[in-house]
Amino acid sequence: MDGLPPEAPPTEEPPSRAAHWAAVAGATGWTDAFRTAKVRVPRERWVEAHRALKEHLPFFAWLSAIDWTNEVAVGDPVEGDPVEERFEVLSRLSDVSAGEAVIVSTDLPRDDLNLASLTGVYTAANWHEREASDMFGICFEGHPNPVRIYLPDGFEGHPLRKSFPLLAREVKPWPGAVEVAPLPAAEAAPGEAKEGGA
Amino acid sequence: MSLLDNVWVVLVLKLGVAVVVLFAVALVVMFAELKVSAHMQHRVGPYFAGGRWGWAQVFAEALKFLQKEDLVPREADGPVFRLAPMVSLLGTFAVIVIIPLSPVLVAGDLDVGIFYALAAGSVSTIALLMAGWSSGSKYSLIGGLRAGAQLIAYELPLVLAVVGVVIQAGTMSMVGITEAQAQPLFHIGSVGISLPYALQGQIIGFVIFMMAALAELVRTPFDMPVAESELVMGYLTEYSGIRFTMFLLGEYAGMLAMSAIASVLFLGGYHFWGLNADWFGPFVLLGKALILVFVMIWFRWTWPRLREDQLQSLAWRWLVPLALANIAVTATLKVVL
Amino acid sequence: MTTPADRHLLAVHRSEVAVSVELQTPEMTLNIGPQHPSTHGVLRLVARISGERVESVQPVMGYMHRGYEKLAEVRTYAQITALVNRIDWVSGFANEVPFIIAAERLMGVEAPERAQYIRLVLTEMYRIANHLIFLCAFPAELGAPTPLMYALRERERVLDLVEGLTGGRFHPNFNRIGGVKPAAGGGAKQKTRSQDLPKGFIEGTRRAMAAVRRVCDDLEGLVLGNEIVQQRAVGVGVLPAEVAIEYAMSGPNLRASGVAFDLRKVEDYLPYHRFDFDVVTMPNGDAYDRCRVRLEEIRQSTRIIEQALDSLPAGPLQAKVPRVIKVPKGECYVRAENPKGEMGYHIVSGGGRRPYRVKIRSTSFCNLAVLPWLLEGALIPDIIAILGSLDYVLGDVDR
Repeated sequence: MDGLPPEAPPTEEPPSRAAHWAAVAGATGWTDAFRTAKVRVPRERWVEAHRALKEHLPFFAWLSAIDWTNEVAVGDPVEGDPVEERFEVLSRLSDVSAGEAVIVSTDLPRDDLNLASLTGVYTAANWHEREASDMFGICFEGHPNPVRIYLPDGFEGHPLRKSFPLLAREVKPWPGAVEVAPLPAAEAAPGEAKEGGA
Repeated sequence: MSLLDNVWVVLVLKLGVAVVVLFAVALVVMFAELKVSAHMQHRVGPYFAGGRWGWAQVFAEALKFLQKEDLVPREADGPVFRLAPMVSLLGTFAVIVIIPLSPVLVAGDLDVGIFYALAAGSVSTIALLMAGWSSGSKYSLIGGLRAGAQLIAYELPLVLAVVGVVIQAGTMSMVGITEAQAQPLFHIGSVGISLPYALQGQIIGFVIFMMAALAELVRTPFDMPVAESELVMGYLTEYSGIRFTMFLLGEYAGMLAMSAIASVLFLGGYHFWGLNADWFGPFVLLGKALILVFVMIWFRWTWPRLREDQLQSLAWRWLVPLALANIAVTATLKVVL
Repeated sequence: MTTPADRHLLAVHRSEVAVSVELQTPEMTLNIGPQHPSTHGVLRLVARISGERVESVQPVMGYMHRGYEKLAEVRTYAQITALVNRIDWVSGFANEVPFIIAAERLMGVEAPERAQYIRLVLTEMYRIANHLIFLCAFPAELGAPTPLMYALRERERVLDLVEGLTGGRFHPNFNRIGGVKPAAGGGAKQKTRSQDLPKGFIEGTRRAMAAVRRVCDDLEGLVLGNEIVQQRAVGVGVLPAEVAIEYAMSGPNLRASGVAFDLRKVEDYLPYHRFDFDVVTMPNGDAYDRCRVRLEEIRQSTRIIEQALDSLPAGPLQAKVPRVIKVPKGECYVRAENPKGEMGYHIVSGGGRRPYRVKIRSTSFCNLAVLPWLLEGALIPDIIAILGSLDYVLGDVDR
């Protein structure tokens, strides 16, 4: 891992644990890239899969969503091939002994943002689901207290959707985007590179 | 026939002098608290006001409070809100009448000296309840009710601790108690040695009195009513400016008064071995009182505060039975010896 | 399992005698916060209280929501590194570490040894700083203002060292993709030389660690040994282990309930496995144990720092990365043992200079989910003690 011989061996991750968790959860597919194990379950099996995984992975780390779309109001769209437009809900489960973990994900169509709530299985999902519904507008059926958690009452819109613009930028353009003229003897292009360099 | 033969003139003069002395020393106590607490915490404390010593900080703060806006919250009960600090000061004023600085330097040496002091001093209980209830804020209400419960609970140990001293001295007059402590207990050669009551068997009474006095003054570790980290100043939340100053001054003057009473009752008052009481009495008494004030300041900056139910259980389950036992033992020994 | 009411009755009112007359008193709704000296920020607790006893508590948050996850979609990775310092502002550097490691994993870049050691040393220094702030705030909320001054004095030593190295006390902004920032003013050539720590940093750190250990002993006597602190904190806010796991508590709060789980031993985001340190656990899970865990963790952190500085390897501070950072497509989640618990970043990269989505798993947001359960049936002073013992900041809760 480091190139130097370690004095004590680190905890090695067992190979393809993702496949193991996919089997436990009854998933339709799994990936294990960048040391992040991820399994995909269909929407109807969302609660069942979590229930199956709970006895091995009792720690509910977080739940959130990703708005996959090709037209973004702020930020950059995904490069390369266009993505399938959907909302992807992710939850991460782990244990408190050996460091096993997996991310469980499901896809929701853009026009039907309903998903069963996990509060019956994992109590810690409560606030995370409130945040996801606040930020994305996903409705979690069976949630005991589906009120907004972060945004003030009366706020309209769901900020983390890609269609939601950064309001401050609508009012006034961001000053950091100003292009600076190059110095006569400068070796690299300023402006753009200044943002991405050290 | 001079003006000084008129009893009323003399009384007013005495009271005036007593009040001025008390509040002058209370300012010193306030300054001591600032500096002592600072040095206990590796800080310097007030530094800029008054040379590099900060002695003028107290006057600066007094002036600052005087020029603040007179705020009465809209939800507050106006007359009661305005009256509460004055009632609190009244309780403190009443106590200084009987503090003897020397056998003759006392505003009024009443025969029921200490009884009067305890009775009159408990008027400030009403003041805190008035302040808490009339402020019109939930935090003040909680603070005021806590204060009421606490002060009523600690009245008993305060009074019972004093009873032991009264039994031993045989009189309730403050000068009389001091003179009783000045009687020599035993003789070494031709020199008579007298001991203060704290060393003559009233040590438990002394400890109980100090704890009850701290609770009466609402000081840490008994400052639940004003728990700054919870209730944002409790019953004092809505007070500002000169009304707040009156409460604050009442607290410091009360500290001094309670320490003075404790030093008279338990530490021998203005009497010190070998010193003439008429000349050195005031300094001796103030010295003893300031030592006790230092101890009070020390407690405040070292210990956290007790929770309300722990405070109550300390009073009712520990201090009151101990004080009663103290009285029983003292009375028995007084009869027997 | 005992109900919360039973538990608090046992711990608090051992001597309570049953009242023969039932007084019907109305309940009062009290807003604790958002402006309050003891809520560690703008947290609002809507408490229904009856006398001094709390019937129910509903936390209301979001007063400090700054929209980090939205901002991360319009910032480059270096800019996000500067931003995320401010999530948990007491442990500044520790916020950057999991983010930058996730970005490095996506890029396939490994930071050089020296940079990893420096990251480790800085993280442990911020752990010490964070736990010293806890030891300031917890006794101050119980009513003892003096330990605050003692702990802050030693924290200044640590922060001065960090300032000498990074230029910032609270928000060092020291990580770069591929390593840490080269010494200021050095230019491009500086990256290959190993004279990058300020002069006197290592000796100064050793002295500071000795001073920190001394103040730990002082505070152990002044705070943990104080009978009143013990009366206020022992048996208060007891969190059983299974409840802690159910509510996804992490960090010292979990370890104080007896669960020996420390991400530094389990994950390999930094070379912790090379150093010898203990995972501190305590059995009871009350506020007192949470305080003890953090005090002991300061000592363990001093051990780690001294071992790391003894074996600091030479080498460059930053791996070779392109001038304009473009992270390839992919998703990566990295979690780290922050001073307050498990903090993680799930970066979804669309292949550009800016991430497509960053999900921040912030510690205090997850730790506070247990509040309604924990505070039910507590007295008002106990609320303050429990809140103080959970050690959260609102920046972490609200992001």
